[in-house]
Parts: sequence; structure tokens; C-alpha cells
Amino acid sequence: MSNENITKEEIAAIFPKVAETMADALGCDVEKVKPDASLIGDLGAESIDFLDIIFRLERAFKVKIPRGKIVEEARGELSESQFESGGVVSDAGVARLKSFLSEVPADRFKTPLKSAEIPKLFTVETFCKMVIRQQRATAAAGGAKPA
Amino acid sequence: MDGHFQAFTFVNRINALDPGISVRGKYFIPPNIKNFPQSLVAEAVGQLAAWGAMSAADFKCRPVAGIAGQIELLSPVRPGQTLELSVELESVDDEAAAYHGAASADGIPAIRLQNCVGPMLPVEEFDDPQSLREHFALLCAGGSTPGGFGGIPPLEFVRTGGEPGKSARATLQVPASAGFFADHFPRRPVFPGALLMNLNLQLAGALAVEIPMPDGGRWNLRTVSDMKLRTFIPPGEPLELEAKIGTQDENSALVIVETRKGKRLAGSARVLFSTEGNS
Repeated sequence: MSNENITKEEIAAIFPKVAETMADALGCDVEKVKPDASLIGDLGAESIDFLDIIFRLERAFKVKIPRGKIVEEARGELSESQFESGGVVSDAGVARLKSFLSEVPADRFKTPLKSAEIPKLFTVETFCKMVIRQQRATAAAGGAKPA
Repeated sequence: MDGHFQAFTFVNRINALDPGISVRGKYFIPPNIKNFPQSLVAEAVGQLAAWGAMSAADFKCRPVAGIAGQIELLSPVRPGQTLELSVELESVDDEAAAYHGAASADGIPAIRLQNCVGPMLPVEEFDDPQSLREHFALLCAGGSTPGGFGGIPPLEFVRTGGEPGKSARATLQVPASAGFFADHFPRRPVFPGALLMNLNLQLAGALAVEIPMPDGGRWNLRTVSDMKLRTFIPPGEPLELEAKIGTQDENSALVIVETRKGKRLAGSARVLFSTEGNS
């Protein structure tokens, strides 16, 4: 599923609701939830928080987010072996990630990048884009108009 | 008897099952125990959800602890009553089970859970899948023998500080051994989140008592929201509990409770008290 052509305006339109949802899930002030904030590094999110955030976003935006498939989506057309080997993301994989996670500053991509560390890259904007993709998918499938 | 399906089991019968969609059950609260707190009523609903989710996942995964978006504490229950339990499974996959549910006793709503999410973990880490399958079949076929639960074990926190009416801190020593560990869980003993919730509610209640009320009334516990368990608590673990006032006005007080295991936040919740119901 492509994340290309997601506009700044689309992100800005849903950001306040995403930020509020995340602040509720993380028990932090909404002012702390900036678009470029790293969920793990800046907001202290743990794996249970990711689950919480995804379910809250699903309820808030009435979309179905494919849990556990974020990295799979990020991999795109690359096979698993092309994407990573021995728990380390390949050069092609990193290039693909940088494109998919275009909102993540380049200096946050470590070298070498371990697969297990990919969630550390996710920002608030990453989740905004995820919601927009699902809204588009829902609309394309003839579902409800985006909330 | 080793306590499995006895010492910390709160479903005696499954009387209706729509696989992966909904499940109904019963729990007979033993008449000879001292009390049955609402945290255990919530646990009973959660256990029924776990049976529904495990059966949907062919007993490969089970939901363990996790998140309760909102728990409405509607009315207390008594030993000797029968809990009617209901759960609607919103989704079950290999990562999480989402559900809402309720319990009532003698036709009176006791508790309502909404927006609950349990991370799905491999069953084998916690229990023998075949034992679970057999017990599930027993629950569906006619039910298990009631009376296995012997009451809440003596667990007490020790107040260590805080500011009266604003915050309260305490320590809790999780016992190194207790009967409930044989059931929760046989292959990996974990301090039950429901017991932790009960202690957190007690600490929040102790703090609420210290909040002055103009008419000399009292604060009534209404809801627990955003309850989240972040880590497993093994036997023998020392914990730090804290309750602090989040917001307060003349009709309500929101208390934030947090539990720490060392420096790590192990669990948290928001507890709402209100003056509603005072006569």
C-alpha cells in the first residue's frame, strides 16, 4: 500500500485528533505530542502503548488499522530476505524505510539498523499517515467517509 | 489439588458461545469467603473474555492483562451470589483481543467494562494448552465445581508518605509464594493485575477519605479508566504505589494511581470518585 501523495494538509487535518488520542493513551499533555516526536524516544511509549494507541485511533477514526503489519507495509515490494538479514536491515531495506517513513529525520536512521529498532523510528506523523492510508482504503472499499 | 482452575479462576460455566463474537458465563461466588471485591468481578469478565479469545485462537495464544479503557463500578456483590457474565469480542487476532463486557448479580448490574485490550501471547508460556482445551470443554459441557477460590489472600501495603488530601505513597511486597500463583499461571507465576487493582483502589480510597467535603458526605468510587498493565510482576517483587489527585471539584475527584517496579512504571489507572449517591 503506497503512502505517497499524502499531503501536509491531510496530515494537518487529522493531527489534532491524533495528538489528543495519543496524549490520552500516554497520559501526557497534548502539547508534548508534536508531529515529529518519536513515540518511544520522546514520548516514552512502550509496546502496550502502541497497542493502546492503535485501538484508540481505530475507534476515533472508525478505521481498521492492520496491527503488526506496519513493518510489513514499510517493507513494500521487498521480500523479507531482501529487507533484512540476521536481524539487521539491509541497505535496500533502509532505503525503502527512508522513503516510507519520509517524515523521520535522516539522522534517526542508525547504521547498522536492527529490525527490532524500527519502531523507535515511528513518529506521531507516522501514525497520522497510517490513519490516512486506512481512511483511503476504507473509502476505496466503499466504506464510510473519513471521520 | 494444585490450585489449577481453582485458586484464581472466576468462571464456572460457559452457557453460550458464538465463536470469536460473544460468550456468556457464570461464576458462583463461594459463600464462605469474607468478601468479593469489584476488582475480582472485573477479573471474572476478563477471564470469560480470555476463554472466548483462546477458543477463537485454537488455544495457541491467550490475552494477558493489558488495557481496560473504562470499568464502571455499578454495585458491590456478595459471597454466595451468582455472577452472570457477558463478553462481546470486538476483534481477536494473533496480536490482541479487544472486547467489552459486563457482570450482574441477582439481575443487578455490578460492573461494566469497555474498550478492553489484551495482548495475545503464546499459551504455552503460561499453561498447558491441552489442559486449557479440556477445561474449556468442561465449562461448556456443564461447568466446573464451584468453590475453588478461598478468598483474597492477606495483602497489605504500607503507607510511606504523601501529602494528606493530595497524594499517598505506599510500598507493597508481593508474596514470594501464594496459592493464586498456581493458577495465575501454572507455567509462569504472575501477580494478578486484579489484586494490584484492588490495592490501588484501596490506596486511592484512603486518599479520597482525606479530601475534605463541605457537607461532611463521602466520596463514592465510580469508575476506573485507562487502566494499563505494562509489565509482568513476578512473585516476591517489591512495588511502590502512588495515588495523587489529578483534578477535583466539589462533586468529583479524579485520582491517578501508579505502580512502579523499581524505576519502571508497571501499571497505572485513573480512579473517579463522586459525591453522587450520597443521601
